[in-house]
Amino acid sequence: MSDEELVASSLAGNDAAFAELVARHKRKVFAMAARFGRDDQQIDDIAQETFIRVWRSLAKFRADAPFEHWLSRIAVHACYDFLRKHRHEREHVALDENLDAPSHDTRNDAAEILHAALAQLSPKERLVITLLELEEKSVREISMLTGWSESNVKVRAFRARAALKRILEQRHE
Amino acid sequence: MNDEQLNDLFHASRAQHRDTSRAEFAFETRLMARLRAEREELPLLIWARRLCPAFVVVVLALAGWTFASLGDWRTDAATKSDDLQFVQLVTGKTL
Repeated sequence: MSDEELVASSLAGNDAAFAELVARHKRKVFAMAARFGRDDQQIDDIAQETFIRVWRSLAKFRADAPFEHWLSRIAVHACYDFLRKHRHEREHVALDENLDAPSHDTRNDAAEILHAALAQLSPKERLVITLLELEEKSVREISMLTGWSESNVKVRAFRARAALKRILEQRHE
Repeated sequence: MNDEQLNDLFHASRAQHRDTSRAEFAFETRLMARLRAEREELPLLIWARRLCPAFVVVVLALAGWTFASLGDWRTDAATKSDDLQFVQLVTGKTL
């Protein structure tokens, strides 16, 4: 059964079809959520929010583009809303993590250090730099996922890189 | 921190994928339970949304009625004031 057929079946009230759709795409959503959530609970919250939004707007899905693209857009917006909601909490956590971080930067620590630094960026900057550098999306793809213009994405990515460098330099001082 | 060092950090971080298998466990079951709960709440929300315009109309009607009553009261007060002045003029007494 194709994704489009599962969507049609879900709209007709078939819960099993929607569960199948979720099972098919959850890995991708969890992978993206893991870039932003701190622990399993937060990752689960983002993934649930994403699929709840999918369920609510299933009727709006037009099969002119693959379901996966539509789902990615919803997942990105769910991640962005999560970042905005947890902004202050994350800033405090990031500072604590910086204090606890080891002085020698081994390769395994790199992800931790970057995660802590990313947590100090604004939600927009964090989203754009994560999609660009960690998810390896193009500017055009990010523009389509977020709904921001390409020039806006470029400006935000530039600012995010500069801010990241500043944060990491401060950490080394 | 130069661009090369930052790119190295990104590269190292990109290669590391967090294991989400624990969070993924029974995800569909949890999600479907939440959806069922949401579906039960939905009719209430739909009714609340449908009744919104009616509430707005009631509030506007109340506001209009209050304003109109206030206008009547002002007219009454002005009329009473005219009556008092007339009595004062005729009798020469201050009431």
